Amino acid sequence: MPDMVSLAQPQQRQFNPYADNGGTILAIAGADFTVIAGDTRQSEGYSIQTRYAPKVFRLTDRAVLAVNGFAADGNMFVKKVRQRLEWYRHAHAKDMPLRAIARLIQTMLYARRFFPFYVYNILGGIEEDGSGAVYSFDPVGSYEREACRAAGAAQSLVQPFLDNQIYFKNQVPAPGMAHPVHLPLSTVLSLVIDSFTSATERHIEVGDGLEMYVVLAKGSTAIQSLSTVRGIQEMTVTEDGERVFVIRRELKKD
Amino acid sequence: MNTFADRFSTTTAASQLRHAQKLAEEEEFDATMWGSSAGFGSLTKGVPTFTVPAVPDPTAFLRLHTDDHADPSCRIKIKHGTTTLAFRFQGGVIVAVDSRATAGSYIASGTVKKVIEINPYLLGTMAGGAADCQFWETYLGMHCRLHELRNRERISVSAASKYLSNLVYSYKGMGLSMGTMICGWDKTGPAVFYVDSDGTRLKGDLFAVGSGSTFAYGVLDQGYRWDLTDEEAQELGRRSIYAAGHRDAFSGNTCNLYHVKEAGWTFLGNYDISQMHYEGPGDVPGAPGGGYGYDIRVEGRNSSDPPEEAAAA
Amino acid sequence: MDHFPTNWGRPRNDAYDPYGTYPIAHRPNNGPKDAFADAVQRTQQPIVTGTSVLAIKYKDGIMMAADNLASYGSLARFKDIQRLQPVGAHTVIGAGGDMSDFQYIQLMLDELIIDEFSAQDGHTLGPAEVHEYLAQVMYARRSKMNPLWNSILVGGVKDGKRFLAYVDLLGTTYSASTLATGYGAYIAQPLLRTAVEGKEDILTEEEAYKILEQSMRVLYYRDARTIDKYQVATVTEKGVYISESRRLDTNWSFAEGIRGYGAQTQ
Repeated sequence: MPDMVSLAQPQQRQFNPYADNGGTILAIAGADFTVIAGDTRQSEGYSIQTRYAPKVFRLTDRAVLAVNGFAADGNMFVKKVRQRLEWYRHAHAKDMPLRAIARLIQTMLYARRFFPFYVYNILGGIEEDGSGAVYSFDPVGSYEREACRAAGAAQSLVQPFLDNQIYFKNQVPAPGMAHPVHLPLSTVLSLVIDSFTSATERHIEVGDGLEMYVVLAKGSTAIQSLSTVRGIQEMTVTEDGERVFVIRRELKKD
Repeated sequence: MNTFADRFSTTTAASQLRHAQKLAEEEEFDATMWGSSAGFGSLTKGVPTFTVPAVPDPTAFLRLHTDDHADPSCRIKIKHGTTTLAFRFQGGVIVAVDSRATAGSYIASGTVKKVIEINPYLLGTMAGGAADCQFWETYLGMHCRLHELRNRERISVSAASKYLSNLVYSYKGMGLSMGTMICGWDKTGPAVFYVDSDGTRLKGDLFAVGSGSTFAYGVLDQGYRWDLTDEEAQELGRRSIYAAGHRDAFSGNTCNLYHVKEAGWTFLGNYDISQMHYEGPGDVPGAPGGGYGYDIRVEGRNSSDPPEEAAAA
Repeated sequence: MDHFPTNWGRPRNDAYDPYGTYPIAHRPNNGPKDAFADAVQRTQQPIVTGTSVLAIKYKDGIMMAADNLASYGSLARFKDIQRLQPVGAHTVIGAGGDMSDFQYIQLMLDELIIDEFSAQDGHTLGPAEVHEYLAQVMYARRSKMNPLWNSILVGGVKDGKRFLAYVDLLGTTYSASTLATGYGAYIAQPLLRTAVEGKEDILTEEEAYKILEQSMRVLYYRDARTIDKYQVATVTEKGVYISESRRLDTNWSFAEGIRGYGAQTQ
């Protein structure tokens, strides 16, 4: 086999256009709401570059996009998606529906099939039928609608927890009882916070801050459980439609 | 004179534009991208356009940076699909697939839709790169519709699969990865074509694709007959995917089952593979009753688990 | 196409290992690499290089420091190079990495500022705009696989707002109240964070200067690509001021007391 090694074409040491900036993102869909969250640490190797670099972005009043992987690619990708959504607004005088944004993201990622964006995307929001939805993507654009998804550095720590707590995997309901199909917003928010505090404990690339975006369907009753949330901030732009909120929390900084 | 000044001055609008173009010449946008066809991205043009890295060997670049199951240090993981099968019989075509996607040894998803519904008469399956299959089979769906509009009749399965194979052949060696079966019903009756990213296109009665294909073939071959009833055929598809999910680490979670008939395809159901092992697929036509697991078939026939009479004695 | 997922999605290269028997351990290393660590590139490599740049926020604005050395490998080649550059009236940039690429960036920024001035539209570019412009240029160049081999700090004050951010050859950007490039990111950044975080609105110009001077001194003791001559830039609401070169006071007498490594083990 060493012969084959020497046969290999002279592999020049090349400029590596990618970096891994760590961090984790997560989204959970409820019956009439969606929570999209991400930590705010940006790192390279063992160095923390900054403790506040947002990874979750409001696209429209019913769509929020979380990006993870190579930060420069992620920021550029969000910028380009927003540009296309603005063009859509100018052409159609309305915001693009969520499932259309999902397909748009697929084609935009796939256009770079041979020079991929090193970005894992999770799109969350409200569908036209008023249901909460999460779409997750791989770096070259394959996508799927799901109820919950974690991506990034600590995906392998967080996803099994969500499988257990959201999908009730490997849980047997008490006799005569059934698992709920959708969880209430307050439960989902605590699951998200627990996911990130735990990931912070066990993964060096996760921590510093947590940003949770909450998208509510028109007339959602989940609004009641948000009234008591500390430091919540509304990001909604349009009247009487879906509403977007952001909740910020501190995570451990070590 | 004005044009001369325009061309060389650095402060006019034209020069600003020139400057901006020089800095961002990688992407050009035409009116169709934000007009009525906004949202279709690279599909608005006849042929999709791709960004290719500016290196002497773009293929080597992609090889260096993208997914490799055996080498976890490749960080751009592309989701992979794994066991898919389709076969032709007197009652149409059965398409059965698993739902697991893996990135290295991590199970990235257990709920993947590996049957791509190209149109009401055509199904494609997904093995290999998930994005490659999703994107190109969606693209194929557009062209099947264009064929209908141009020719006032549905495209044949043969023509559709040839369209796809010619398409992926033009990217041969670039790193596309798909092993798909295009299944449908046309003037010739039920049809299955195997198409992969090497450009292979095969017409046949029975195919299984993916890492679990060998296990699926084992069950499929021993149970396959042309004159299978619909129920028997559906059960055979389910049972074969179960076998692959049971024995292949890269396959599993659930089985999605489709049946293509003359009137188009129908989705029959989603079956949990663990549940099929212990309890069987449930009350569905063709199911034998009871689980597929072999421990049920040897119950009471070994010394550690003796028959009831022997245990009582 | 075969049924081994291992072989899927990898572009073909028939000249090399057609049967997938190539040992994994010998595959081209694609692990995380420091972009500066012996990274040689087809179109270029850094030749004449500058090392760390440090910057912090303080009460009245931002302060940035960089030494005056441009190295040629391990040779201290040019010892009177200015690595801090004002851009317009509100911004200063400081660069590490390839000095010729930095000069090209200065040229671009000069042109940008002249164009902006010529427009006479009542607008001026602030630090946020300069940083965004640089980030787009750097990312576009990395996407062409022809990077500008620098890591740059951009700082300034405009309309009462302090701004401090980083951009590098990959187009990676971030912002924080203390920033450092190159070795500074490992050696000076912890010192800066301890001294500055939470005190951004309290620190006076003198205190800010002391913090940077001390950090430059620590860097000079440990980074072999520094010299003891450096400049400090301050940007306040009043504008940009870049100091004359200063000398670091250093004390090497402690070296006598070092035991336990090198040639001298006892």
